[in-house]
Amino acid sequence: MSRDPILVLVLAIGGLLATAGPSGAGTVVTPATVRLNSPEDTQQLLVTETGPNGLAVDRTRAAAYESANPAVAVADPTGLVTPKGEGRTEIVVRTGAVVLRVPVEVTGLVSPRPISFETDVIPILTKATCNAGGCHGKAEGQNGFKLSVFGFDPPSDHQSLVMEARGRRVFPASPEASLLLQKGAGRVPHGGGKKLDEGSLRYRRLVRWIAEGGGYGRKDTPPVVALEVEPDQRTLALRGNQQIRVTAVDAAGGRRCVTAEAEYESNAPTIATVDRRGWVETGDHPGEAAVLVRYLGQVAVSRVTLPRPGVTFPRPPEANFVDRHVWDKLARLGIPPSGPADDAEFLRRVYLDTIGTLPTVAEARAFLTSTDPQKRAKLIDQLLDRPEYADYWAMKWADLLRVDRDAITPKAAVAITRWLRRQFAENRPFDQFARDIITARGGTAREGPAAVYVVLATPEELGRSVAQLFCGVRIACAQCHHHPSARWGQDDYFALAGFFSGVTRKSLPGGGTAVTYAPGTDLKNPRTGLVVPARALGAAPADFATTPDRRTVLADWMTGPDNPYFAPAIANRLWAHYLGRGLAEPVDDLRPTNPATNEPLLADLAKHVRDTKYDLKAVTRTILNSRAYQLGSRAVEGNADDAQNFSHAAAKALPAEVLLDAISQVTGVPEKFNGWPDGYRAIQIWDNRMPSYFFRIFGRPLRASVCECERSNEPSITQALHLMNSAEIADKVRAKTGTARRLADGGKPPAEVIEELYLTALARVPTDREKAVMLKLFAESGADRRAAAEDVLWALLNSKEFLFNH
Amino acid sequence: MSPQQSFEFRAPRSAHRALPPRRRMLQIGATGLIGGLTLPRLLQLQARAATPKPAGAEACIFLFLEGGPSHIDMFDMKPDAPAEIRGPYKPIATSVPGIQVCEHLPRIAKLAHTYTILRSHSHNDNGHNTGYHYVMTGYRADFPDGNSKAPNNHLFPSAGSIVARELGPKSPVPPYINVPHLMAGGGPGFYGSEYAPFVIEADPSQSDFEVRDLKPVDGIDAKRQDRRRRLLAETESQAPAAKGRPESMATYYRKAQDLVTSPAARKAFDIGAEPASVRERYGYTALGQCALLARRLVEGGCRFVGVDHSGWDHHFTIFPSLEKDMLPHVDRAFSALIEDLDHRGLLATTLVVLMGEMGRTPRVNKDAGRDHWSMAQSVVFAGGGTKPGQVIGATDKQAGYPTTEPVGVPDLLRTVFGQMGVDTSKVYYTPQGRPVPIVDGGKVIKDLL
Repeated sequence: MSRDPILVLVLAIGGLLATAGPSGAGTVVTPATVRLNSPEDTQQLLVTETGPNGLAVDRTRAAAYESANPAVAVADPTGLVTPKGEGRTEIVVRTGAVVLRVPVEVTGLVSPRPISFETDVIPILTKATCNAGGCHGKAEGQNGFKLSVFGFDPPSDHQSLVMEARGRRVFPASPEASLLLQKGAGRVPHGGGKKLDEGSLRYRRLVRWIAEGGGYGRKDTPPVVALEVEPDQRTLALRGNQQIRVTAVDAAGGRRCVTAEAEYESNAPTIATVDRRGWVETGDHPGEAAVLVRYLGQVAVSRVTLPRPGVTFPRPPEANFVDRHVWDKLARLGIPPSGPADDAEFLRRVYLDTIGTLPTVAEARAFLTSTDPQKRAKLIDQLLDRPEYADYWAMKWADLLRVDRDAITPKAAVAITRWLRRQFAENRPFDQFARDIITARGGTAREGPAAVYVVLATPEELGRSVAQLFCGVRIACAQCHHHPSARWGQDDYFALAGFFSGVTRKSLPGGGTAVTYAPGTDLKNPRTGLVVPARALGAAPADFATTPDRRTVLADWMTGPDNPYFAPAIANRLWAHYLGRGLAEPVDDLRPTNPATNEPLLADLAKHVRDTKYDLKAVTRTILNSRAYQLGSRAVEGNADDAQNFSHAAAKALPAEVLLDAISQVTGVPEKFNGWPDGYRAIQIWDNRMPSYFFRIFGRPLRASVCECERSNEPSITQALHLMNSAEIADKVRAKTGTARRLADGGKPPAEVIEELYLTALARVPTDREKAVMLKLFAESGADRRAAAEDVLWALLNSKEFLFNH
Repeated sequence: MSPQQSFEFRAPRSAHRALPPRRRMLQIGATGLIGGLTLPRLLQLQARAATPKPAGAEACIFLFLEGGPSHIDMFDMKPDAPAEIRGPYKPIATSVPGIQVCEHLPRIAKLAHTYTILRSHSHNDNGHNTGYHYVMTGYRADFPDGNSKAPNNHLFPSAGSIVARELGPKSPVPPYINVPHLMAGGGPGFYGSEYAPFVIEADPSQSDFEVRDLKPVDGIDAKRQDRRRRLLAETESQAPAAKGRPESMATYYRKAQDLVTSPAARKAFDIGAEPASVRERYGYTALGQCALLARRLVEGGCRFVGVDHSGWDHHFTIFPSLEKDMLPHVDRAFSALIEDLDHRGLLATTLVVLMGEMGRTPRVNKDAGRDHWSMAQSVVFAGGGTKPGQVIGATDKQAGYPTTEPVGVPDLLRTVFGQMGVDTSKVYYTPQGRPVPIVDGGKVIKDLL
C-alpha cells in the first residue's frame, strides 16, 4: 500500500495535471491504491482539497464514490472501501468538477487467512466497549463474564470466552447461536444493550472466527507496534470537520487500515467531537483539541486547531525563546495577548511566585519609584538569592516527597527538610538532586533524603513514585492492567520496581531508620507469573554487572542525556509554578495522549534545562524575564476565555502557607504556631501534622501522595467565612501591635495612611477613586481613626486582589 | 409540585397513618372537607390519586456509620447460626410482625413500620477509604486503600455534590452540608468547589459547639460590619474578579455573606435553640446531635446532609463496644430523627438513609471482633416516598452473601437520586474529556417504592 497521493485528474482538460483552485491548490485522494486482503478488511479513503490560502480542507464526505465493479469492492459515502469478491476494480471519486480514480485489488476472500484472536477479535471487544472498566472489564467482571480491561490480557480473555460458561459463549457448531453474538447484537437481553450491528464487518468477523473453531490463532502474529494517524495535525474552521485515518503498523512492517476498528476520544469535546468512525466535527469555540486514538494497546493523537477567525494583532517583542513560542501559538489560534503587567502587578507577582512572600512597603516603594530600565531583571536576581526562595521550594518538594512526620518521625522530617532547603539555597543542579534521592542511603535522622525510603516502603511504590516525580509518567494503573492511554503495561511497571528490590531498612535504636542496599532481584509480573528483568521506562534491560546498588543504574538512566522524560518533567513543573498552569496538565502526567498545549515551548524549555546543566535558577530566570510571564492579568477583547495558551497572566490561588504569611505580614501580627517558638513563618513549618484550622480549610496537603494535585487550591464558603468573619483574622486586624493601629496612631494624614495600607496589602498605591472612598470613610469616622484604618485593612484583606496572585 | 399535590402528599404525619391517596381523597370528599367539590373536580382528583406521582424527597439525610456497621448484630440477625457466628445478641420483635432487629435497638424496633430494611446490599470493595469512596460516588476508587486525604474523591463527585448541582440551593443554607467533619468520599470531585459540601467542622454534642465563623465577631457591631461590607463591595466593584477561582471565590463571599446575615440560616445552625427534651431524645452523642442538627438544616432548606459517624471498625472485642455505645447511640439518634421528622410533617419529603461502607464478617474472629465484609450489609431507608414497614432481600444462613439479587452501590444511588428528582441520565465530562454519568449502571430498587 502506498501512501503517495494520486495526482488530480480533471477530465475537462484531458488528463493533464490540473488544479482545482486558482492558486496551485489541488485535490488529492489517499491512498493511491487500495489492497484488501481478507473478508473484513476495510480501507478509509481521504479526499483532501488544498484551498487558495494553502490550508487543507477535508472533502471525504463531500465526495461521491462509485465502484467500477461493485462485485469486487464498494465504497460507502464515508469513503470506506469494503471487499465483495476477489479481483481488481477501481473506485471513482467525484468532488466538484474533479474526478479521481483509485485502483483496488481484493485478495484473500476465497480462502481467507484464519482469524487471530489477539489481533482480530480483541479490537472488536474493545471497540464495542465489552471490556471497558465499567463493564466486563472491571475487576469482578459483569454478571459472571469477565474480560481484561481494554483487552490487555488476550489469553485470559480467550479462556473466558471459549472455556467458561460451558461453551455457550462461543459455539462453533452454530456460530450465530453463540451467546457472544446473541448478546452482542441484542438478540437476547443484554444489560449493556446492543453492541454489534448484525451483518457489520465486525459481526461477520466474529462469526468467521467462531466458525473457524474459536481458536486463539497463531501466537506469533507480529504485534502492532505503532499507529499512524492522518492527519496528525490540522487547522480546521469553526463548524468544520475532518475524517481521521488510522493505519496499524506491525512488527514485520505490515500495514493495515484500522480506521473503522480503532477507538476515538476527544480531550476537549466542546471544541471538537469525534465519533466511532474517526469523524471529527468542530463547534463554535476556537481552541485546540487532541483526538486520542487507541488500537490494540497502541495510542496516537491527532491534533485539531481552530483559530479565532479574522484576528490579527501586533506581535509583541520577544525577550527570549519563551516569547517566540507563546506568540507563535497565540498567532496561530488568533488569540491576542494582553498588554504587559505594570510595575506593581509584576512586583507582587514575582515576589509571591519566587519566594512565597509579599514585598514590604519599603521594598515596594523602592521598586515602584526606581527608574532603572533593568530593574525587573535585577529584582528577579535578588529574589532568587533570598533565603525564602529555599524555604518555599523546600516546602514544595517536602510535599512531593511526602515528608510526613508520622510516617518518618519528626527527627527525620527535620533532617530531610533541612536537606531540601540546602539543595535549593545552593541551587544544586537538578540532575544531582534527583540522583541523591534515587540512591539515598544512611540514617533518616541525618541531613539527607533517606526518609523517602521510609515513606515509600515497597519497590512498586518507589518505582511508580519516581516515575511520576521525575519523569512525569503516571504508571500506577499498570500495576493491575495496561495503561489505558499510554504505552505502559504491567511488565514496564514491575521492571521499574525491580530497581528498588535491593533496598533494605533497619530500625535504629533511638528512632529513625537506616536505609542501605543489597543486590536485589528482578520482580515477577503477578499476572503472567514471569520474572521481568529490571529496566527503566522504554529502556533496555538494566545491566547491574558493575554496581552492587541497582538504583545507580536507574539514576544514570534518569539523568542521562538521552532520557526523554526527565528534563521536560521538571521544565513543566517550573512553568506550572510560575505561570499557574502547566504546559501539560496535570503537571506530572506527560504522555503523547496528553499533549502539551505548546509542544515546541516545552521541548525548548527542556533543552534549556539540559543546556544549563539542570540549573533551576537559570531556567527560572529565563521564564521570569520572558515577556509572557510579565503579561498583565487583565484580559483584553478576545482572550478572556483563554485558560491554556498564556495570553494573559493567570490568577493563582495562594497556597495556604503563603496566604497565612501574607495575612500575618500585612496585619503586622506574626502567627503563633502551635508548639513552635516565635519567629517561624508558615512556609517554614515542616510539621505536616500540626493542627491548624487555617491550613486545613485552605488545602495544605497532608503529604499522602507524590502528586502535586494533593494540594487543593479550590475556594470554598468556609474560606470566605473564615477570612471575613473569624475571630482569628479580626484579632490580627485590630491588634494593638498591628499595622492598622500603628498607622492610625501614627499621626500621618489619612491619605498617607491609606496609601501605606494599599502598599502593604497590594504592593501598589490606591487609584484616585479608591483613595476618595477611603478618605470618605476616615472623614465619617472622625476621631476614631483606628476603626477607619481597621476597616480599610479588613476590606483590602478580603479583596480578591489580595487573595490571589495575578 | 402543585399546591394540591403537596397538600395530598405532605399531609400524612406518619407513614403508618398515611392512607393510600385514593382512599383518603374519597374520604375527604365524603366528609365535605373540600368545599364545592363538583363532579368533574372529584373525577380529576380521583384520576390523580389513581396514578400517584411518587411523593419524592426534597432532602436527604445520609447517616454514615463509618468503619462498617455489623449487619449481623443489628438488622440481619441469625439466631439459628452457631454461636461463633450469631454472636451474643438476641433478636426482638418490632412493630411489624415478622421483622426482627437486635435487642439493643429497642426504639428502632418500635418504629419498624416507618422504614425499610434492605438486607441484600453487597459490593466487593473491602477497604475503608476505597469503600467509602465507592458508596459516596458510585465509582470505584482510583487509588489504593489506606490513609488518604479527605476528600479522597478527587475525580468523581459525591452524591451530595450531585444533588447540590442538580437541585441547587433552596435558601441561604447551603444545599450540601457535612457534619461534624468532611466525609472522606464527600468531596465534589471534578465538579469543583461550587458543589463542595459546607462542612460544619465542629461536633454539635460538645457544650461549646458553634458553627465556626458564623456569628459576628465580638466588638464588631452590626453597623461596623455593614460598613465593612460596603467598603469591600466598593473596592471590588472597581476590579471585577478574574475568571476561574477568583470568580468562584467572589461567589463564595456572597454565599458566606448570606449565611452570616440571614437570620433563617443562622437559626438553622443554632442547635442550642432546641428544647433540652428534644436534645435529650436524640441523645447527647455525636451521632444524636448531628442527626438533630441535620433535621434543622433540612428545615432550613439544605438538600443533602451527610453525617459521618466513625468508630464502627470493630476488629477487636466488638460486643462491649456495640452494646455499651454504638447501638444505643444509633438507636436513640435514628429513632428520634424519624419520629421528629414525622411529627413535623417532614418525613414524607425527607429521605433518611442509614448505612456504612460495608458490613462485617459473619464469623467472630480470634480477637472477639469482626472484620471487613462488603459482601453483605443492611441499609435502612425511611421517608422520602419510600415504602415503609418491610424487609427487602435476604442473606444466607450466616449473613455472608445475599440469597436474593444483590443490590449494589449504583442501585442505591440511582434509587436515592430518583426519589430526589435528579435526572440520572445526565453525563458530565471531566476536564480531560472523560464522560462521567451521574450514576454508572444500576437500577432502581423497585420494592422500595
